[in-house]
Amino acid sequence: MHGAQNLSEFSMLMCSLLLLIPLLGIWYLKLGLVKSMLISTIRMIVQLVLVGFFLEFVFQLNNWLLNSVWFLTMITVAVLSVIKNSNLRLRHFLVPVLFSFILANFFVVLYFNYFIVNLNFVLDAKYMIAIGGMVLGNSLRANIVGLGDFYKSISKDEQLYFYKLSLGASRFEALRGFAKKSFIAAMNPTIASMATMGIVSLPGMMTGQILGGSVPLVAIKYQIAIMIAILASTIISISLSIIFTVGKSFNKYGVLLKSVIADK
Amino acid sequence: MFKLEHITKQFSDQYVLQDFSFEILQGEKIIVSGRSGIGKTTLFRLLLGFEQPDDGRIYFEDQLLTETNIWDIRRRVAYVSQDLNIGRGNLQAFFNETLSLKANINHKTDSLSRLTELMSYFELPDSLLLKNIEELSGGEKQRVAIINALLLKRDIFFLDEITSALDKFLKIKVLDYFLLNPDFTVLLISHDNYVPENAQTRILKLD
Repeated sequence: MHGAQNLSEFSMLMCSLLLLIPLLGIWYLKLGLVKSMLISTIRMIVQLVLVGFFLEFVFQLNNWLLNSVWFLTMITVAVLSVIKNSNLRLRHFLVPVLFSFILANFFVVLYFNYFIVNLNFVLDAKYMIAIGGMVLGNSLRANIVGLGDFYKSISKDEQLYFYKLSLGASRFEALRGFAKKSFIAAMNPTIASMATMGIVSLPGMMTGQILGGSVPLVAIKYQIAIMIAILASTIISISLSIIFTVGKSFNKYGVLLKSVIADK
Repeated sequence: MFKLEHITKQFSDQYVLQDFSFEILQGEKIIVSGRSGIGKTTLFRLLLGFEQPDDGRIYFEDQLLTETNIWDIRRRVAYVSQDLNIGRGNLQAFFNETLSLKANINHKTDSLSRLTELMSYFELPDSLLLKNIEELSGGEKQRVAIINALLLKRDIFFLDEITSALDKFLKIKVLDYFLLNPDFTVLLISHDNYVPENAQTRILKLD
């Protein structure tokens, strides 16, 4: 078999019947989620259909410029989501976090494609967009936790931060403890999921490969490689995001600017 | 040492200090009093550069306090806040960390050798060093913060309600330690009525 079996219109209809179960449950339990679930489902379908057609076109053309521009678009959307969901001020964070994500994700994906997969054409659509998407999705999740927690905890524990400054700490010395805590919070889910991988869940990459016709032994090699790539891109992107934003987030007295955190 | 000239500070339309002038001389022991919310803590925060005045100037040793020299001023003053959120983890490591800061590393060995003596003066057992800060009581944390400030080997102290969780015996011990040392310049916010008999203090009443 080559490639996964296609899903017919009838299959998709059966799939939407399955949706009735959560819908009825939500309606019966009066969770008030019917509307938001329907909107999300419709959004998902529309977005995926559009992306499906678009990716068909991108994969066929396989042009390095178009591939890169699409990957950049993915990165931008991810960065917007990171800043919005970590409750930080967009105007203040957009440029530095975007810069950090471009560096971290392009570096990891190109490294992966060149040194690990040994591609001749490292900007190949299939690899760059698929691998890039997985790496990016995880950077996104980790940065929402890591970057958001970093600034929120300095703001919340302002007294502790001031106390460290009063002991004679430089800004770097005073922030070290906060950065450490945020890194742990951001990395823990990835580390925990690595430890149970394959037993508790068959990860997405493997599922995709097996359905796509790869033998399990090839699939696990890719899975190991992608997990390490995710770990690398996560730690690089959080570090760079903090390094690039810290300079402009404090005044010259070392006090966190009020304008850094978005009003609720 | 410190001189404040016509300081005005307001938080969202509310004046905390208005055209406030004051001078702190070397070796003075000043007790800051006034009802809560009057700006006592704000005064400390202004002097340490954690807040900037809306108007007026602050001088330290005749130099205008600026974003450049504030970092040196913070290395001259030992501050004990009323907030007991001083850190986490093992107590010995906490003291080590303070003394491993670049600003304090030069006297690390020297200061650590005084640790036992200070612990015993403030009635804390050595075994406490093995505990985590989170496990300490309010009164223990308060004394830990005081000891940490003394390990810095500085002679200007900003002390913000540092005896609020201590019993009478310990309050006297702590206040005697700071108010009777002729080398110390002390700015103390306190609600205690106790002042050692032979201490020369000056009251700064904010209202």
